Amino acid sequence: MSDAALNELIAAARLDRDHVFSAPWEARAFAIALQLSQAGHFTWDEFRDRLIAEVRASDRIRARDGTSDHGEYYDHFLHALERLLEEKGLAH
Amino acid sequence: MSGDHHNTDDSGPAARVKALEALLTEKGLLNPAAIDAIVDTYETRVGPRNGARVVAKAWTDPAYRKRLLADATSAVAELGFAGPEGGHLVAVENTDRIHNLVVCTLCSCYPWPVLGLPPVWYKSFAYRSRAVSDPRGVLEDFGLELSRDVEIRVWDSSAEIRYLVIPQRPKGTAKMSEGELAAIVTRDSMVGVAKVEAPRV
Repeated sequence: MSDAALNELIAAARLDRDHVFSAPWEARAFAIALQLSQAGHFTWDEFRDRLIAEVRASDRIRARDGTSDHGEYYDHFLHALERLLEEKGLAH
Repeated sequence: MSGDHHNTDDSGPAARVKALEALLTEKGLLNPAAIDAIVDTYETRVGPRNGARVVAKAWTDPAYRKRLLADATSAVAELGFAGPEGGHLVAVENTDRIHNLVVCTLCSCYPWPVLGLPPVWYKSFAYRSRAVSDPRGVLEDFGLELSRDVEIRVWDSSAEIRYLVIPQRPKGTAKMSEGELAAIVTRDSMVGVAKVEAPRV
């Protein structure tokens, strides 16, 4: 399966060990979600439920296709945030 | 990458985040200055250096180690580490016989106050899908070969419980101070994919 993908990620992690965001938009998406939850517009658990659903959908595709997953986590994160804001009526 | 199962938008993520931030700010739901502060906090201030201080203290202060193993949330709060995603922290200790490995198979649960945000590989499908089924193989991929008589315990993090691995203190470090020890403790060792190495003399 994806031994190669994991090794690639490990190699990347070794180059830049404490790297948590790979682009500025990832950091801002994270901060938006955290600030809105801290302000009480939703709970972090509500957000995590959407995130888990996004990750699970993507995992199913990967298990089937064997595709690599480099750096896609924040795509799921952003989709989860957009969906939650939609559900809460905050996105209009 | 494409193969996208979403079809609600065509623009890139950076543009979508920018639009979202502008909209929410205009509605008074977001404070852009606070956004900058959060980014700064998680990029530079909250990170594995915090966990390293906890581990070094546990290595040098037996009473603290005991408190950490009994109630990690309170023990890390003693050092001033608390905040989002830090509740229900459990410390698990590596020994000659037991090696602990932490994963979150569902998404990315991780003890933010002591380790910061998770690295890319921790959130990857490859790691999440293999850590439980083949922990020894995963550790070998990370360059860590454990003797067959070492039991590997895999801890699956969740919204309820987060884990911090207390790695083994390396031999040859008896004369090092708590601060010097904290400097050699790595993030990977506190997730369980590496050992702490003594500094080369």
